[in-house]
Amino acid sequence: MIALFILIPLIVLAALGAIWKARPVHAALLLALSLSLVAVLYLLLGADFLGLIQFSVYVGAVAVLIVFSLLITRPSDETKEIARRPQSILAGLICAVPVLAVLVYSVSYSIGSDEVSESSPSQFELAELGKSLFTTYAPAVMAVAVMLTAVMIGAALFARDFNQRES
Amino acid sequence: MNFLANQVDLSNAVDAPAIWTTLEALPQLPNRLVEWVGFQMNAPAWLATLLGMLVSAAVVVGVFLTCFALVSLVERKTLARIQNRYGPNRVGPWGLFQPVADGIKMLTKEDIVPDKAEKLLHLIAPIMIVIPAVLALGVLPYGKEWVPVNLELGLLFFFAVGAMTELSVFIAGWASGSKFPMLGSLRAISQMVSYELPLLISAIGVIMMTGSMSLPSIVEHQSQYNFGFISNWNIFTPWGLVGGIVFFIACIAEANRCPFDLPEGESEIVAGHMTEYSGFKYALFFMGEYLGLFAISGLFITLFLGGWSAPFAGLEFVPSWLWFFGKLVCVIMTMLWIRGTWMRVRMDQLMRFCWLFLIPLSLLTIPAAGIWRFCGDGFLAGLLGWGVTIPFLIIPYIIITVILNRRLAPATRQYHFAE
Repeated sequence: MIALFILIPLIVLAALGAIWKARPVHAALLLALSLSLVAVLYLLLGADFLGLIQFSVYVGAVAVLIVFSLLITRPSDETKEIARRPQSILAGLICAVPVLAVLVYSVSYSIGSDEVSESSPSQFELAELGKSLFTTYAPAVMAVAVMLTAVMIGAALFARDFNQRES
Repeated sequence: MNFLANQVDLSNAVDAPAIWTTLEALPQLPNRLVEWVGFQMNAPAWLATLLGMLVSAAVVVGVFLTCFALVSLVERKTLARIQNRYGPNRVGPWGLFQPVADGIKMLTKEDIVPDKAEKLLHLIAPIMIVIPAVLALGVLPYGKEWVPVNLELGLLFFFAVGAMTELSVFIAGWASGSKFPMLGSLRAISQMVSYELPLLISAIGVIMMTGSMSLPSIVEHQSQYNFGFISNWNIFTPWGLVGGIVFFIACIAEANRCPFDLPEGESEIVAGHMTEYSGFKYALFFMGEYLGLFAISGLFITLFLGGWSAPFAGLEFVPSWLWFFGKLVCVIMTMLWIRGTWMRVRMDQLMRFCWLFLIPLSLLTIPAAGIWRFCGDGFLAGLLGWGVTIPFLIIPYIIITVILNRRLAPATRQYHFAE
């Protein structure tokens, strides 16, 4: 319990830092710190599988994110504080507000119910998780896959565009 | 926390001559000694457990640091032999104290931090590169009873901490604030992220066959014998052979070793991400690299070469951890041999090899493992399994190689920026 009270402020601080830092690499590294602290939180709560997956996926993903951020921003952008231009803030809000709404809705939905606290997450079967992931939640998994592919292609296009302009 | 639920039962020791039984239990000796002392002094249970854990961690770290010192010498000697040189031969007989001399040199060197470096990240990076290697070494089963931490999700844990290496290599290159480290770390990230895919995918077949992610139970599954003498290692099955070779190649790439040592290719970018480091920090990089090499070779042995199990029935009386380390020596020597004979690949060759060759092949091992499993056990079922899975693997292999040779291989490399 004490660990939670130490961890959660650290997670929030790291996340705030990730937003606040102007240099993309600093922001990405703080994001990695925040996400791996969330993984530690999962481990402490007894969700071993989730915690390890969180750690491996997000730390690896942040490494890729850094590469892409270096590809699609030019060195001069680092000092210009690209993230604080009005149009960037507007685009960020358009992306962030729906996500926040969904999160608030789902958290408020689960606060009242008791079944969440009763089931022990450490007792689940790995095979059960796999089955539900690829049957019940298959549309969500596929949607995420499509979204990630779109992001990759978009980043590649951006990078290519910049290179052509410079040469 | 069931995450750390472990402690292997030591009571069921094997029936064997006394000397072998003693040797089998040797790695547990410090641990048991601490437990015994704790019991004699009526120490509280949590203290005894904590000390026991610390001691077993110290045993693993000590063993592998010794291996590190030995391998750094043996590597130079072997390469020298391959290249018709003497290698280190000044310090002690056969150059045996060369690692000591190297260590003293590293520790007494001045610690230089470049002016443009990010001081904090520059300091953190070498530490961050040793941590995942040591953590990964902690979950491998070295012997029947020598499992430092027995995790239910050991394989996943191994890959999860392995993901940290990429980030620390990147931090090292980026925080140095100079060009060659940056180039090296970008090369390292693209290489490690790409080669992690075949590494993970070829391990899936093993998980499917065992039905578990626990490394000790994966070895347990391989430690039986077919027809009384042929061991049940995964490498002796068609999907395991393909998956094992893919896994081994991906291991070499993950460990940044020749022929995939582009991130630190001396003749191209000095030492890659380590260029701006000196003294003890450089030694930490070196150490992290070798410990990571041991860890990933150990995982290869665990997944495909039967871990601690003996190659033939009737040889089980030899302590199990001796088999593990014997196999480790073979794998490391093979890697040295490859390093001595292969030339470094080019960046585009590296990527093409991974994405167009290794990943399709590793994907094929998953259905092949499924087919093999449904063919069942026994002589006829084994024949059926080989008969079905071999064409299943060989035909796509031929198609892939033909396409790669004919269509996709460019006649000359196009240089976009250096003309």
